[in-house]
Amino acid sequence: MRKIFPAEELARDGRFIRQTNEQRMGDPRGARIAGGNSGDRLAKLTPELANGPDRARALMHGIFVGEIQALEGAGRTCWDFEVGEDVPLELKLDMARQCWDEARHCEISVALAEHMGTELGEYAENALLYEAACNPDPVLRLTGVNRALEGLAIDVFNTMKEFGNMAGDPVLEFCEDWMLADEVTHVKMGSDWLRRLTENDKERLDKALEFQKVVDRLFSFNGFRGEEDDSPIQLTRRFRELAGFSDDEIDEIADMSREARVEASS
Amino acid sequence: MTQVSVTPESFEMVFYDAAVIGEVVAEVAERLGFEETITLEIDERSPLGRSKITSYDPIELWVDGGALENTKRPRQFGTARARDTIGRLLLRILDRRSGRFNETPDDDELDLMQFAAWDVHCVGRLERLGIGGQRQRRLYQFRNRHGFSDVADAAFEQLWDSSELSWTEIERISGDCRTA
Repeated sequence: MRKIFPAEELARDGRFIRQTNEQRMGDPRGARIAGGNSGDRLAKLTPELANGPDRARALMHGIFVGEIQALEGAGRTCWDFEVGEDVPLELKLDMARQCWDEARHCEISVALAEHMGTELGEYAENALLYEAACNPDPVLRLTGVNRALEGLAIDVFNTMKEFGNMAGDPVLEFCEDWMLADEVTHVKMGSDWLRRLTENDKERLDKALEFQKVVDRLFSFNGFRGEEDDSPIQLTRRFRELAGFSDDEIDEIADMSREARVEASS
Repeated sequence: MTQVSVTPESFEMVFYDAAVIGEVVAEVAERLGFEETITLEIDERSPLGRSKITSYDPIELWVDGGALENTKRPRQFGTARARDTIGRLLLRILDRRSGRFNETPDDDELDLMQFAAWDVHCVGRLERLGIGGQRQRRLYQFRNRHGFSDVADAAFEQLWDSSELSWTEIERISGDCRTA
């Protein structure tokens, strides 16, 4: 079986339609984010918005395809690298555990889609998450996926959990809470392995953190994820701290978001 | 044959065809028994799904481009979505003309609960006509406005399954969820 499986060849049935990054970023109305669109000034996602329930459905579908890709990415990390030469066995065991979590999240997401009235494949799928999981360096891969993208997942899950709470929807609230707990663990795995594998390799550490920033920037259109009251997705400091982010690192993401917001409004 | 006028006539940001849109609107209108001219204005810049009736007589509709979009294929026209959007607007016009909705506040005075309840009654009828659907999506929206409870679910069933409710009945069914 070949190593580093290309995103274009991921297995999907006829229900799923892929939207390339070029198509997504090339949409003159703005790229799709947070169940809305970066071209509009998106408000914080709450049930009180006229389109709140539909935005929640779209965002939940984005989470669902993200879970599929996270499962595929963690699975590839178990296979793509050799124990001893590339990674320790314990890293592969962590990735195997993550596969089990992501598979469970896929099943929960399917049940939530049914609950919210969303068909599987109702929205276009973008494979950016899996593409970050194709990095040939395991440290960069874990930093990009487990710290940047799973870090974003913490913010998204917490936002959805609050949406469920505000709407009085216990199904959504509890499902998001359970998945959120797993995401914190995944990010913590990324933080721990980043430190362990680069303990004596400052250059590799810097490269990995730079890759994380690139991925974070790709997901910061218009500063949609931030600490402002009206940010569509709220940056979740407490859970990020639990996941091994330092205050400086969280400040940096918040700053990045603020800058993207200013840039978008100018 | 219903005459449909679509604005704009050509699109820059989405891959829509005004003639195709006109055909879909005409088809839905004829299924619902309209014979008059319908004007549809589309804001192609917006991928959101808002829609409204800007005039009841003559019929003038306004929609975000996103309200006619195929969500599987962004920027492409979605026939099913368009039928659902246009069907709901036209049924609201029929309701207001029926005499059963004389006490209905103006559209911009309706709150989210009232809109959700009326939408359920519209989409339930559209589904039985083979024009729209997405029952579970409408149930989720209704629950967001009326509560995730057995009372709200029973209210939804009544709104969805009924064929000719009056505004007073819709208000009562929706209001019962507020007090429950």
